[in-house]
Amino acid sequence: MKKRKFESKDYIWGSLVCLLALLPMVPGLIGNTFRAHVLILVLLYASMAQSWNIVSGYAGQVSFGHSVFFGIGAYGAGMAVVTYGLTPWPGVLAGALLAALTSILISYPCFKLKGHYFAIATFAIVEIFNRLFMVWDWVGGALGLDYPILPDGWKNFVWSETKVGFYYGALALFILIFGVVRWIETHRLGYYLRAVRGGQETAESLGVNSSAVKLSAMAFSAFLAALCGGFFVQYNYRVDPPMVMSLDMSMKFVLITILGGVGSFWGPLLGAAILIPLQEYSRAYLTSLGSGVDLIIFGIIIMLMMIRQPKGIMGILQDLGVKTGGRKPEGEEN
Amino acid sequence: MAAVETAAEVINNKHPELDVPLAKKEGILNGMKVQLVVADTQGKPDVAKSEAERLVNQEGVYAIIGSYNSSASKPASAVTERAKKLFMCGCSSSAALTERDFKYFFRLAPTDKTESKEFVEYIEWLNKNQKAGIKTIGLIYENTEFGKHAADEGKAAAKAAGFEVVADVAFNPGATNLNSEVQTLKAKNPDAVFGACLGGDYTLWVRTMKQMNWLPKVALNYCTGYQDPKIAQQLGSDGNFFMGGTGYSPEIGAKYMKKVAAVEKIYSQKVGVPFDSDSIQEAVALFILAQAIEKAGTLDVEKVAQVLRTTTFDSPLSLGGKVAFGPGGQNMKATSIITQLHDGKYMPVYPKGYAEIKATVPMTPWDKR
Amino acid sequence: MSTFVQVMLDGLLAGMLYALVAAGLSLIWGVMDVINFAHGEFLMVAMYLSYWIGFLAHVDPLFSWIASGVFVFILGALTYRFLVSRCIGKAAMAPLLATFGLSMFLKNLCLNRFSPNFRILQSTLLEGKKILLGDIVIGLPQLVTGLFSVLLLFALYFLMKKTRLGWAIQATAMDREAAELMGINTDRIYLLVFGLGGACVGIAGGLLTSYLAVHPEVGSLFGLIAFLIVALGGFGSIPGALAAAVIIGLVEALAGFYIAPVFKYVAVFAIYLAVIMVRPKGLFGW
Repeated sequence: MKKRKFESKDYIWGSLVCLLALLPMVPGLIGNTFRAHVLILVLLYASMAQSWNIVSGYAGQVSFGHSVFFGIGAYGAGMAVVTYGLTPWPGVLAGALLAALTSILISYPCFKLKGHYFAIATFAIVEIFNRLFMVWDWVGGALGLDYPILPDGWKNFVWSETKVGFYYGALALFILIFGVVRWIETHRLGYYLRAVRGGQETAESLGVNSSAVKLSAMAFSAFLAALCGGFFVQYNYRVDPPMVMSLDMSMKFVLITILGGVGSFWGPLLGAAILIPLQEYSRAYLTSLGSGVDLIIFGIIIMLMMIRQPKGIMGILQDLGVKTGGRKPEGEEN
Repeated sequence: MAAVETAAEVINNKHPELDVPLAKKEGILNGMKVQLVVADTQGKPDVAKSEAERLVNQEGVYAIIGSYNSSASKPASAVTERAKKLFMCGCSSSAALTERDFKYFFRLAPTDKTESKEFVEYIEWLNKNQKAGIKTIGLIYENTEFGKHAADEGKAAAKAAGFEVVADVAFNPGATNLNSEVQTLKAKNPDAVFGACLGGDYTLWVRTMKQMNWLPKVALNYCTGYQDPKIAQQLGSDGNFFMGGTGYSPEIGAKYMKKVAAVEKIYSQKVGVPFDSDSIQEAVALFILAQAIEKAGTLDVEKVAQVLRTTTFDSPLSLGGKVAFGPGGQNMKATSIITQLHDGKYMPVYPKGYAEIKATVPMTPWDKR
Repeated sequence: MSTFVQVMLDGLLAGMLYALVAAGLSLIWGVMDVINFAHGEFLMVAMYLSYWIGFLAHVDPLFSWIASGVFVFILGALTYRFLVSRCIGKAAMAPLLATFGLSMFLKNLCLNRFSPNFRILQSTLLEGKKILLGDIVIGLPQLVTGLFSVLLLFALYFLMKKTRLGWAIQATAMDREAAELMGINTDRIYLLVFGLGGACVGIAGGLLTSYLAVHPEVGSLFGLIAFLIVALGGFGSIPGALAAAVIIGLVEALAGFYIAPVFKYVAVFAIYLAVIMVRPKGLFGW
């Protein structure tokens, strides 16, 4: 494989990362503000969406089951801290590995399902996990796991005085996951994935082991989603099944990616950057209009987007002639 | 929320006609007015946590009052504890909230633990005084943080008193039907049932039992659909003879908490219904906080917390008239009355000081109504 | 023994109710390969309408189901016209996600306007009545919804197999382009089918208000189960949907009683997975 050239995409990426890393230096910007909270959530959800993107965008399988992996990661961290009194790090690692394993076990039989049958099977899987966790006492069942008050710091991965720690944690996650996806894009696995997405039979006739390819993509995706779950529980001091292993959470993975532009590198970030602030600010500041307004707006946006530009924000940018530098979103490939 | 607004209004303005603390003055501490900032947790713990942070950091609130769901109160109060701000919890019922050794957390309502003990106590009383003959207990509860916790406490209290728990029926809230659940109860046939079913599940449960023609001798409910006067009204005569713990109802208020009525008028002008056990606790939460600040003479959180921990407050909106916090922040004077529904009215049946009628035990079977 | 019969009967009737709810979804999917994610919310809307008619005008659900059916027919048609028709065929999951957006919109709109409080009609014609066969209890609401279900499914089947409109629908379902060439206005067919699918679930919702409380989340579980049923029954098969619904109702009842009520739905989802692994196109799908 010849040494790959750096595209303009990589330069944009590099600059963005530097900008984000330096942001906390601006006095008063991060601290303990709501702004910081929104930024952290944007980075987190962008990471989650990007992990889902590996499977759906690049491999073409639309799964609604990612909250299971997210949840396993969350419980890994939660159990480590609450049940075993350790730091969350070993828990997150264990959770991520377990999630990857689970994803392979679940996906292998599911991949022979097509279209809507597959999608509905993923609903069923989420619901089964959710309800089983609700009755499983070892993981806390319906009561969930609540964090005790712990000293701030990287060891325990909790901070209360300021959000800078969480911010850098989210940024690290972001760099990791986007980095992995960029790597996949430009290396063999990425080509195989695109081949499979383009047409499974064709790919196989060319010697691509489509099962192995899809399963590896799934394992990567699950591993990364689980890491995000670990972050989520640390950030919220609590985990219970409805918080992490729910269809609602799964839909977040799906929606942010699709609205941003599935199959594209920037899609998940764009999706998160638009939707998360919208969700948070409308919930916080529109309470006078009654409950659920943020979700009404969300619903309208989804409907409009699907009617006008199912390829998401990336699609809109392309229509406007913006050079997006690199892969086009799913559907317009080679 | 309207309850807290009501309390704020009473505190902030001169209401000489109301005989509650702080009503006659304007504001507290030389005229400082209480201002409310509202945030919606949507019942979700992660939202609660970030809203609590926003209130504390962005809006700079002095203290937080809330919330209904224990699972939301937990992370929200973790935030305030870390930030060393006060959290006055009106009506979350999980005992775990006050078992955390927090210094700035105070909860007004009784817990599911105390409710369970009271239920068991009442059953023993019934066995002694009304020859109820109750030996076995069953539980039906929604499989959520609230229901599971209440059920755990119920089972523990029942076993501690020597009763046999023969049925443990958890159900998925929002279920399409409760056939299997009621079938299971009917098959095990416990003498008494402890229920933790909210809203629509409660009505479905009652009606499914009617359809399958089964009732326990006694049905005691935690803070659920039973206590909701709208639901009681919608059920009509089907709801009769069910029992539950009630912290407040207009009937109880009329007899034992006479000073509430005038305050309640302000409240019902806002929402069109009278107080209920939960909303009134939220109002009490603000009153007590204000009274503590007034007594401490300062806004200094440490001093106010100290006052909260060591004073017995006068609280005309609380059943029993007094509030005093113990270690962990639980209101040790929190009580509830056990009531039985008769044609839409919550009639107190226990404890003796409050009982107005003799409870109908066993519950009148469906075909005899 | 009579307990077993009771459990089976409850399961059968529950299954019939699910079939009534799922019939519309099966029709829509079978004809246009679109899963209406807002199906559960259509049910919820129908229930609210029927509730308000009952509460304000004192019309019993036994009659107001007609209004609910008509209302959701219109809702379905509008959904097709303004939402689904504009994203069908454009991208893989566009209609699914668009209807998901719709479901979010409808649910939260009702939450905002009607509050999360549960509402139930105080006394309806059907509620509380039952037929007793020895030890066995048959609830009248359940029996009536079961009957409606059978009638509706027969009506749909008859429509599809024996009427010109039904043939046109089938033709459109099999090959849209060919149908167009035959002179069928497939867009109109799709509109009609979506409306009809909506009407079916509207009728279900209208009747349910006889004995079930309405609130913004009431449609969620019904919707999920409907998705399971149509996928389990198989693409394009209405008899399949009926069979799947009955299976699910029975599994729910049996698991609920003989294992534990809290595992009711786990068993239902598990059965779906078990069957679909063996028959990836559902029981009778093509």
